[in-house]
Amino acid sequence: MFRYITIAGLVLVIAIIATHRIVASPRKPKGKQSYNPLRALVYLLTLLLLPQRLGFFGRIRKLLYLLALLCFIILAVTGFYPALVLNQRLSGYLLMIHVTAGGVFAACLALLALMWADLCRFDKFDLKWITGLFCHTEEYQAKNTHTRLFPKLIFWLILIAALPLILSVVLSMFPMFGTEWQILSAGIHRYSALAFAVLAVLHIYMLAILSRE
Amino acid sequence: MKSQNPDEIMRQFVSGELEINCLACHNTHPGQDQAEYAAQIEKQNFRWAATASCEFAAVKGAAAKQGDTYDPLMSDAISVEYQKSAFGYRDKVLFHISKDIPPKRCYFCHSNFDINPGHKQEWMQNQDVHLNSGLRCVDCHRNGIEHKTIRGYEGEPVTNQALSNAYTCRGCHLGDGAASEIIGGLGAPRPEHPGIPEIHFEKLSCTACHSGVMPAKTTYRTKTARAHGLGTHDADKSPEALPHIVYPVFAQASDGKITPYKLVWPSFWATLDGQNVEPIEIRQVRRIAGKILQSADSEETGGWTEITEKQIAKVLKAFDEENSIEGKAVYITGGSLYQIVDSKLTETENHPVAKPNMWPIAHDVRPAEQALGNSYCEECHSTDSPFVFGNIVVDSPVAKQRNKTKIMVEFQDQSPLYMRLFAMSFVFRPWLKIVALLSCAAIAAVLAYYGLKAIGCIIDFVTEKVNPNK
Repeated sequence: MFRYITIAGLVLVIAIIATHRIVASPRKPKGKQSYNPLRALVYLLTLLLLPQRLGFFGRIRKLLYLLALLCFIILAVTGFYPALVLNQRLSGYLLMIHVTAGGVFAACLALLALMWADLCRFDKFDLKWITGLFCHTEEYQAKNTHTRLFPKLIFWLILIAALPLILSVVLSMFPMFGTEWQILSAGIHRYSALAFAVLAVLHIYMLAILSRE
Repeated sequence: MKSQNPDEIMRQFVSGELEINCLACHNTHPGQDQAEYAAQIEKQNFRWAATASCEFAAVKGAAAKQGDTYDPLMSDAISVEYQKSAFGYRDKVLFHISKDIPPKRCYFCHSNFDINPGHKQEWMQNQDVHLNSGLRCVDCHRNGIEHKTIRGYEGEPVTNQALSNAYTCRGCHLGDGAASEIIGGLGAPRPEHPGIPEIHFEKLSCTACHSGVMPAKTTYRTKTARAHGLGTHDADKSPEALPHIVYPVFAQASDGKITPYKLVWPSFWATLDGQNVEPIEIRQVRRIAGKILQSADSEETGGWTEITEKQIAKVLKAFDEENSIEGKAVYITGGSLYQIVDSKLTETENHPVAKPNMWPIAHDVRPAEQALGNSYCEECHSTDSPFVFGNIVVDSPVAKQRNKTKIMVEFQDQSPLYMRLFAMSFVFRPWLKIVALLSCAAIAAVLAYYGLKAIGCIIDFVTEKVNPNK
């Protein structure tokens, strides 16, 4: 069941990105290089190698982000590969890698939450954009075309998804809950991981767009 | 038991047939003496053995000493003497026959005697938790009128599958596969297994954690009623008495689950034909190898008489020179196969035909508090855990193989390197828990702080809309 839901979830996120690419991309004049999110992602990653204009705190934040990104990729591969490809439970060396990366990722995520939270808090402009969306107030929509509402929203959703994702597996390590809870917590971990992965992919995509802008 | 051998058929006119002794299990009188039964069998008193074992009769004489023409109806060389006080009114006798078999009756054939330095005397030991709870062996090991008693393991091929499924560990304690009218019939508590990930129930049998003695760095040696004749008159009471059975050995069972076993390393002279071995008849071994092995230092402990590789080579050459055996003579011991190749003795370690004989154990069952891994994960997940890295003593009369051991993980279909790395990862497990919990606390704090701020922002916005002048 989880296998099919995961495949559906991943197809959905790809469809969302593809639809966004088709609908939202501004048409470029002929001869001008079109916008490529992959290129933007590579650019984002290679920023580390370029001369930095960031301060110490900014560099730490970027390093943490890159480390979290690396851990996310490791976790996604080790977590979803046995479930999707092998149709097996996560075990063996993959489990060891997954758990090791999981600890680092949790720490990075907590630090990023502390560092990014203020940047990602909603402001009155976001609220006005939403009300404008529902009230169809042209004035508001015209003013807030380039709202950062969605990256912010996804950031907060990621944090919300992270709590059941981490807690479900950590609490099951304590001798408090029996077999039925173990089965339930494994299910919570799997599905919150799927939600987290979908949100994380969308977050990375949006960050790539923003970095381009 | 009808023999097919003409000589034995003739002999059965003297001894009688060895029939199933109903009293062995069903006579609940404390005077029922199975040791006497065994003694009568040795005397070939098959016809009289059941009578001799009961509480009110004694048998004198031995069929083994009688000639083939002996007629029990015509001679009193073998006689039965009854205890007169056992017979009451009208010479009737009260038989203590019951279908509720007490555990003591089972113990005569199904008991162990552990040989290890820490072994506690019987009165200091806890017995099986089921017996302490008031159950008897036959409450779980049930049978129909055909007397095919179920052993109680999962997937046991029996005639009454529903009955068999109901009286496994899982059937009784979880209700798995049991018919609804049987579930909970014995009041078995449902286990909680707090903190134990589900994968343990896929990889381990229930007995792995709950049965037998707690494993130590090296396996223990044990004697069993069946292998050592415990309780019989002429049983060798020496701790070195053969066969040397070691346990608990945690090995992978045919269902893929790790299960505790008892183990014996086979040692025998055989002929090798391809990958098949055929044991050489003991009389032939005595005739050919007896003289060569006689010179070996004899131990009077009932254990192995130590032999050297030189002696093995001599015996194997003697077998080949004799030409009375078909195939190539080999000696199998301690997991190795010895054979003569190009006039030289060669040893092949871990040869498939030299694999140990193993059989699963299930008793004594320990309660949850005494289960393996109940105290902490590192009982199994550590680099010195007996469960994974415990030493299995390799038993052999060959001097060179003394003190040889194997590691438990070799029998578990797992990579030793992986198991070692996995065990080492548990050193960092407490740190992982702390980091993960602190991370969760930080994320929850951020969510709570900015969540409250967001609510404040919404209130301000709504207030501004409702009352723009304020």
